Amino acid sequence: MKIFSESHKTVFVVDHCPYMAESCRQHVEFDMLVKNRTQGIIPLAPISKSLWTCSVESSMEYCRIMYDIFPFRKLVNFIVSDSGAHVLNSWTQEDQNLQELMAALAAVGPPNPRADPECCSILHGLVAAVETLCKITEYQHEARTLLMENAERVGNRGRIICITNAKSDSHVRMLEDCVQETIHEHNKLAANSDHLMQIQKCELVLIHTYPVGEDSLVSDRSKKELSPVLTSEVHSVRAGRHLATKLNILVQQHFDLASTTITNIPMKEEQHANTSANYDVELLHHKDAHVDFLKSGDTHLGGSSREGSFKETITLKWCTPRTNNIELHYCTGAYRISPVDVNSRPSSCLTNFLLNGRSVLLEQPRKSGSKVISHMLSSHGGEIFLHVLSSSRSILEDPPSISEGCGGRVTDYRITDFGEFMRENRLTPFLDPRYKIDGSLEIPLERAKDQLEKHTRYWPMIISQTTIFNMQAVVPLASVIVKESLTEEDVLNCQKTIYNLVDMERKNDPLPISTVGTRGKGPKRDEQYRIMWNELETLVRAHINNSEKHQRVLECLMACRSKPPEEEERKKRGRKREDKEDKSEKAVKDYEQEKTWQDLERLKSILERGKEELAEAEIIKDSPDSPEPPNKKPLVEMDETPPVEKSKGPVSLLTLWSNRINTANSRKHQEFAGRLNSVNNRAELYQHLKEENGMETTENGKASRQ
Amino acid sequence: MQADSKEEPPKQHNSLDFLDTRQCFQLSLCILIGNIGLIFIMPTVVVMDVSLSMTRPVSVEGSEEYQRKHLAAHGLTMLFEHMATNYKLEFTALVVFSSLWELMVPFTRDYNTLQEALSNMDDYDKTCLESALVGVCNIVQQEWGGAIPCQVVLVTDGCLGIGRGSLRHSLATHNQRSESNRFPLPFPFPSKLYIMCMANLEELQSTDSLDCLERLIDLNNGEGQIFTIDGPLCLKNVQSMFGKLIDLAYTPFHAVLKCGHLTADVQVFPRPEPFVVDEEIDPIPKVINTEGDEVGTGITDDNEDENSANQIAGKIPNFCVLLHGSLKVEGMVAIVQLGPEWHGMLYSQADSKKKSNLMMSLFEPGPEPLPWLGKMGQLGPISDAKENPYGEDDNKSPFPLQPKNKRSYAQNVTVWIKPSGLQTDVQKILRNARKLPEKTQTFYKELNRLRKAALAFGFLDLLKGVADMLERECTLLPDTAHPDAAFQLTHAAQQLKLASTGTSEYAGYDHNITPLQTDFSGSSTERM
Repeated sequence: MKIFSESHKTVFVVDHCPYMAESCRQHVEFDMLVKNRTQGIIPLAPISKSLWTCSVESSMEYCRIMYDIFPFRKLVNFIVSDSGAHVLNSWTQEDQNLQELMAALAAVGPPNPRADPECCSILHGLVAAVETLCKITEYQHEARTLLMENAERVGNRGRIICITNAKSDSHVRMLEDCVQETIHEHNKLAANSDHLMQIQKCELVLIHTYPVGEDSLVSDRSKKELSPVLTSEVHSVRAGRHLATKLNILVQQHFDLASTTITNIPMKEEQHANTSANYDVELLHHKDAHVDFLKSGDTHLGGSSREGSFKETITLKWCTPRTNNIELHYCTGAYRISPVDVNSRPSSCLTNFLLNGRSVLLEQPRKSGSKVISHMLSSHGGEIFLHVLSSSRSILEDPPSISEGCGGRVTDYRITDFGEFMRENRLTPFLDPRYKIDGSLEIPLERAKDQLEKHTRYWPMIISQTTIFNMQAVVPLASVIVKESLTEEDVLNCQKTIYNLVDMERKNDPLPISTVGTRGKGPKRDEQYRIMWNELETLVRAHINNSEKHQRVLECLMACRSKPPEEEERKKRGRKREDKEDKSEKAVKDYEQEKTWQDLERLKSILERGKEELAEAEIIKDSPDSPEPPNKKPLVEMDETPPVEKSKGPVSLLTLWSNRINTANSRKHQEFAGRLNSVNNRAELYQHLKEENGMETTENGKASRQ
Repeated sequence: MQADSKEEPPKQHNSLDFLDTRQCFQLSLCILIGNIGLIFIMPTVVVMDVSLSMTRPVSVEGSEEYQRKHLAAHGLTMLFEHMATNYKLEFTALVVFSSLWELMVPFTRDYNTLQEALSNMDDYDKTCLESALVGVCNIVQQEWGGAIPCQVVLVTDGCLGIGRGSLRHSLATHNQRSESNRFPLPFPFPSKLYIMCMANLEELQSTDSLDCLERLIDLNNGEGQIFTIDGPLCLKNVQSMFGKLIDLAYTPFHAVLKCGHLTADVQVFPRPEPFVVDEEIDPIPKVINTEGDEVGTGITDDNEDENSANQIAGKIPNFCVLLHGSLKVEGMVAIVQLGPEWHGMLYSQADSKKKSNLMMSLFEPGPEPLPWLGKMGQLGPISDAKENPYGEDDNKSPFPLQPKNKRSYAQNVTVWIKPSGLQTDVQKILRNARKLPEKTQTFYKELNRLRKAALAFGFLDLLKGVADMLERECTLLPDTAHPDAAFQLTHAAQQLKLASTGTSEYAGYDHNITPLQTDFSGSSTERM
């Protein structure tokens, strides 16, 4: 595929000399008699278009089809020639639409039959056409700028379509020679210019048109190479609809188009709304949409000549859309379309149906009666596309399930959270250019990638890998900390979140810590909070370089985490006699603790001795620092009310006894610090290393992310 | 490849309309716009020569005597084994040929069947390559159509047959073909033709065999390659020849899927092939980044593929599974960047209720592969927008983007090439003229549309004709007609006549004929 092939630039040169005002001698009845009003009225005489009108409307039709199918990169320059050349538009993309051309043509008006034929000539237009082909288009400019030292790879080719009334074959030859010579001259000029490009290849399409009924003075000639740069072909065509048909064929040849006729379109009759008849609509599109037919040489299927025109069309049958049609079809391409008869009623019915957001499946008519859906018509953003669906065996047949692959057996992915993540990272078009602080252009897509990078700095994939993302309380912080910059309010919210967590810790609220993968009991409450704080710190640290405000959040976090040394000390040493009093008082207030008390009352009769010690043991057992009793820990400690859980079953005699002994013994010596902080009677060694390294903390065997 | 951002297909949540939900389905198709070379799976056809010459013994020092066909079977076994491990999803067919051809195994993923067929081959008469290649054409087209690329592995001994049907004969008559007995090459589908010769180079060069086989590759537009055995014919050298084929055509495509810091090793199946966008401007084929560029985007080569292959039975969390799950639940697709200006999308693809997998569809390389998404580079995070373009309740979408200029079928263009087009437009005016003054606005709208087109086409006679017609209508007005009707008709006719003179004063394209202000018109407009 070449972007800068001949079809990148098309110049229309239409003759505007006096003889073009002549009638094409093909009459159009415009005063159609309507029944029941016809009595005694003679319809107005039919009128006929001039050669000029025929030429202009046919070339407009050529442009219409081209713009529909190639809205970009295929450009038209329209030139009208009489006593001079009138260039109606430029190569810029803004000038490339029908409205502009129509307005410009209206300004030119029809040729003046009384003008002096001597000073009018098509040659002016042809010279201007060559000149304009040397002008660089914005696409060529862009490509050249992009390719830098390889700028010479950008080609400059073009096509001149000249509609005129020639006098003879030698007149035609004269026109060709003139183009040839002009190209030669202008290429010399262009060689010394930065703004012009030499023409590498030019296709001249000369269309001689003459009134119906007259003999042509010019003979047809197929494409011939006049020089390495110029090829030329001559078409001698009667005016009126013959000219329009010719240009329709040419636009298909020039832009590699093919035709599809949708048949069996059910349409309500205008007059009888409850009946419907079937209609056909012919569409043009790039021929690749027929690739399956072309390659297999299967053109017999529906290929037919229509209305004596020479073009082939492939017939596909309308399938009335079904509402439950979600069966997946593999679409291998989508191509813009243009209806051949754009404002006929069947065409506009079909296009409106599609523009309203409906889709139509198209079926290949087959003799065998088997139904093969090969295409689909559907619109996207006001443009209709013919979608090619793969009708042969699907190569993606029976794909494996993702659950059979790596990670397929993990069941606790944070699917919902990632869905939320995706929704936050959705894309939207930014059409106006934005600039960075340093003045360079900001590419929105790069911004999107940056955001992804930020949002994923710490993002555990499974529920059991994280504590903080399972906590509602952390959400206000986690959702803003990933931002590039924080507002004062954001910082405040983060700080509130941290204070809230401190509060939770003070209140000794349970945490949703997972114990999956660890054997036996999970970490004790104190340890849980340590894990949570570490994880939170990892998250915040991952973002401290974003801004000074992020830094402040971390400072707040660190300040809240680190407790005053004396408190730490106290915790480590277990309960002292002196604060036992108010501790137990506090505990009594608690409903759960009360229940424990009730249990204890029940046990009092069993254990007569050491009542006081027993009570103390129970209280200490429930304080955050004491080891949990065995055999009562659920796998994932999501339980909000562990004491209730405990009260369900009676405490075993052994537990009571060992607790009493332990308590008694603990009074006699200071407990070994390692045992006090142990998890499942295992103490982590070299904890100070962690504190020193800070970020490289390892929790539960899982490397924390940065 | 970088799973770039999640972007929602242009769908609407607020309606259960079938088409709205369908829109999401449409985007999840593999959609490529314009001229495309679709990058897809590559089924393989193995074409095995079973002519008598393949039974020629190979002199091996060892005890057992081998024939060339044994060597061939050995090589193919190796290929099948490789595919069974690395290309489980590849379809392969086996064709044997001599003067006739036979489809031994139709396209299958069952490599055991292929293997079995290898050991059940009989010996037949002479080599007739052309008919076998015709057979390949038929088999592939029937199964896959003309758009799916196929790899054809032809196994032969370099004896190309004698007389009619021999390759020499086929090539000699190549220029005298008609459409009906076209030579099967180039294959009518995108293809690679690999010719595995059970002979070494010297042997082939001693006749013109090598030249003929090279002609074959040339005829297939150069798509393919000839492999010969290096050194003496023996199992080891056959292995190394098939090893070369595997390296060239059947290496698995490993990549890393990245979404910020979340990554996963992936194998892309089928292997994406290089793509040439424009042979003139950029003749270097676009290849998916496997090196990982400096900004850390793009696909990086999987350095630890041993590791990832052996990941312990799916128990280690994998980003692909997470992504797939969320895409499926949310009904979204993710945009993936494959290289500079090359994108694709990831989505959950289910073929049945139970099985679904992460699917990647590649767009045509370029800055704007899907026009209704706009330029890919211009897609940015919603957090940069002033307000969420998807709405607070997810009830709208910034997509599809509307093109700047409407297409002709969406803008009520005027085309009078067929008389019926012109007649319809005139009738419309006439119909409204008869309903004046109720239809004053529509009457003038249609009138101005006709006027504009007539001026652009230089069709001034039409303006005069329609003016005459309106004047006649005026005379035909019934007594009961509203007096305003006559005024408007006369006014309109007069204005058209003025325009038909073509003088710039009255024939301005942008000028519109406006309704005549009459004593009645005030009330008539109110009634509109």
